[in-house]
Amino acid sequence: MTVVRTGLRARPAAARTRSTPSRRALKAWGFMLPAGALLLAMTVVPTLYLAYCAFRHEDLLGPNSRWVGLENFRHVLGDPNIWADALTTLQFVALAVAVEMALGLGLALMLSRKLAETDLLTALFILPLGVTPVVSALVFRVLLDPAYGWVDYYLQSWGLIDQPIDWFGEPFYAWTAVIGLDVWQWTPFVALILLAGLQGVPSEPKEAARLDGANALQLFWHIILPFMAPFLAIALVFRAIEAFKTFGSVFVLTGGGPGTSTSLINLDLYRIALQNFDIGAAAALGICFLVVLSLIMGRLLAVLNRNTDILED
Amino acid sequence: MTFDGTFDDKGLSRRALLRGGAALAGGAAFTGLTGAPAMAADAAKPDRLTMLYATSEADSDAIKAALPAFKQAFGFDIALDTMPYNALQQKAFAELASESPYYDIMIVDTPWMPALTNKILPITDMILDPRANEGLDITDFIPKVFYDTAVYRRDNSALHFKDDAAIDPAKIKAEGFDIYGLPVQSNVLTMAYRKDLFEDAALKAAYRTKFGSDLAPPATWDEFAQVAEFMTDSAKRRWGTTLMAGTGDWATDDFKTLLAGFGGDGHLVSDTFEPVFDSPEGVKALTYYAKLIAKKVVPPGTTSASWDTAATSFGSGLTAMSMNYHSETLNPTVKGEIAYAMVPKGVARGPHFGTWMLSVNSYSKNKDWAFRAIKWFTSRETQTKALASQLHPTRLSVYAAAAADPGIVAKFGNFYDVLGQSLQVGVGRPRLTNYADIDRTVWVAVNDAARGAATPEAALKGAAAEVATLLQQAGYKRS
Repeated sequence: MTVVRTGLRARPAAARTRSTPSRRALKAWGFMLPAGALLLAMTVVPTLYLAYCAFRHEDLLGPNSRWVGLENFRHVLGDPNIWADALTTLQFVALAVAVEMALGLGLALMLSRKLAETDLLTALFILPLGVTPVVSALVFRVLLDPAYGWVDYYLQSWGLIDQPIDWFGEPFYAWTAVIGLDVWQWTPFVALILLAGLQGVPSEPKEAARLDGANALQLFWHIILPFMAPFLAIALVFRAIEAFKTFGSVFVLTGGGPGTSTSLINLDLYRIALQNFDIGAAAALGICFLVVLSLIMGRLLAVLNRNTDILED
Repeated sequence: MTFDGTFDDKGLSRRALLRGGAALAGGAAFTGLTGAPAMAADAAKPDRLTMLYATSEADSDAIKAALPAFKQAFGFDIALDTMPYNALQQKAFAELASESPYYDIMIVDTPWMPALTNKILPITDMILDPRANEGLDITDFIPKVFYDTAVYRRDNSALHFKDDAAIDPAKIKAEGFDIYGLPVQSNVLTMAYRKDLFEDAALKAAYRTKFGSDLAPPATWDEFAQVAEFMTDSAKRRWGTTLMAGTGDWATDDFKTLLAGFGGDGHLVSDTFEPVFDSPEGVKALTYYAKLIAKKVVPPGTTSASWDTAATSFGSGLTAMSMNYHSETLNPTVKGEIAYAMVPKGVARGPHFGTWMLSVNSYSKNKDWAFRAIKWFTSRETQTKALASQLHPTRLSVYAAAAADPGIVAKFGNFYDVLGQSLQVGVGRPRLTNYADIDRTVWVAVNDAARGAATPEAALKGAAAEVATLLQQAGYKRS
């Protein structure tokens, strides 16, 4: 006969090794700690310091650092040039990302066809992604030079233009160049994401639609596009975030010119922070930019969440 | 903080004198407190000195070439770090802001200095110390270059030391100013032209037939426009001149050169912090500039051209003339010859100039040796040897040496002669901590007028209003 100890209920061996909820939570926090500490050190603390600086006049090279309240915000928000450059930035992002989404989708559709050349073409289309924006801008600058650039030379040789185009001397052409460079560089990125989406579209609904007599356009619109929605949303969010961060390519290609027609808000941030060393004003502008970006990105992420639900469903 | 400089051309006002005296007393007290910068003749020799320097902007090749000779003379090395302009400025400011002693010697560009007078070591006392100044010969520096580059007031860095006479460190000190470095590389706008074209018999004959005078490098702005138009033959892909009308510091430099030439103040902003470029002279200058571009006597792309593209256009044989900060070279495929002249004059002459200086980091642990080193790098002997590497000298005697050296004359023609003359009449920049903003405002106005997006009057009026606001925001003026 087995002796049963009173006061203690016998537990199965598996149950004895299972953690209590509090221990499980502790373990979870332990696993999260390195990432959390890194996030705190690399993102939260700098952001708080940025906010702190935005309310101060930071005299890096002298003894005059002091608390100035909202003065830096008044300074940057009262500057009509900043507002104009903010509008330019929004226009740049909207235009560049729209063109990249359209071309990226077309490129993805083309590459999704199972042809012998597809792999080679995919590799070639990815090449621009490997070039740093500054180098791309330098190459574009030489190609578009009206005196000795290839583009004007061939456009004239083929009789398409009489006079060389001053690509960086007229706002329309400068915008064309800036958008063209961004599209050249980033369309492959969009195409790659959408290509992954296209390859995930199940074949059954497509075959069923074909049997029902759907043409190619109907097939695309009613079957492929709904399946692609989450991927389109991902590409849109990623590209929009990156496009708002554009600096090097425009800095090198146009320097914000002609006049201020391609001057993005990041060029202002660079000038205020790293040429005038007015850290307080730059921090205030950075905070304003961050707030606006958070609002825009919040909306875009909501779109993303709504669309990724389709996948989960 | 509000600055209200009281210097004028006639000399010191009573108020400025009192403030100068106070500054002098304060400076003496500061010197006593910090223990600097009295020269310790027996300071321990360091293992090496570190130097932060520019790249092609200040001809780093010449400095690199001088390093072996430095080691031979001093018995230790210089560790040289060179960086392009934007990176250099950020590095220099970051090092000084963090009070880092890493770099003993730093190269400093004139637009930076108004923000750095608390961080760069004043070397006036070392220069006045007979134990330390041996062989310096400070009066050999081109006075205009020296005052514009190296002489500042710590308590009001916006003020210019108004004197073109021989350099007198004692007088500089007495007037409340200090010397913050020794000029090492002088850049000024000079005009290069295609000598072969100006000597071409057919062109000379055609010019005489058309204008009744000899074809020659233009001495006045009127002649410049006339010659530029004459030389333009777009069918032959040849234009009269380059201009640097693209968005960047270079467009401001073109404009301020013309502004001074047309009788205005090429500094753009007065020492009493008034924008002085929106004037009849300014409008005339910008109208002249815009007309040159509208008449297409410049190559395509001029409204987006920088100093770099201007040099490429001239070097590729696209233009007969070009104004730039350095000597020019023609591509081997262009069979031609280059000569130089000063930029033309109107009622006056005032080519834009800006000079780099070598300075001692206030936080260096080797201040004495750093001073000895900058003295050596800017000496007559070192600069003379650096001529072959195209260093732009800052000493009068080096220009004399260049003229007397057949090898230099054969290699660079009359470049050094013209450079030396131009420096003596050059016009610098206003001394403002937010000059980058002022500069941008002016170059946007110049670019707008150059491409016909705004009339010169409207562009300058808008820019002047914006500059006034910027000066107010920076604390230079009260609203």
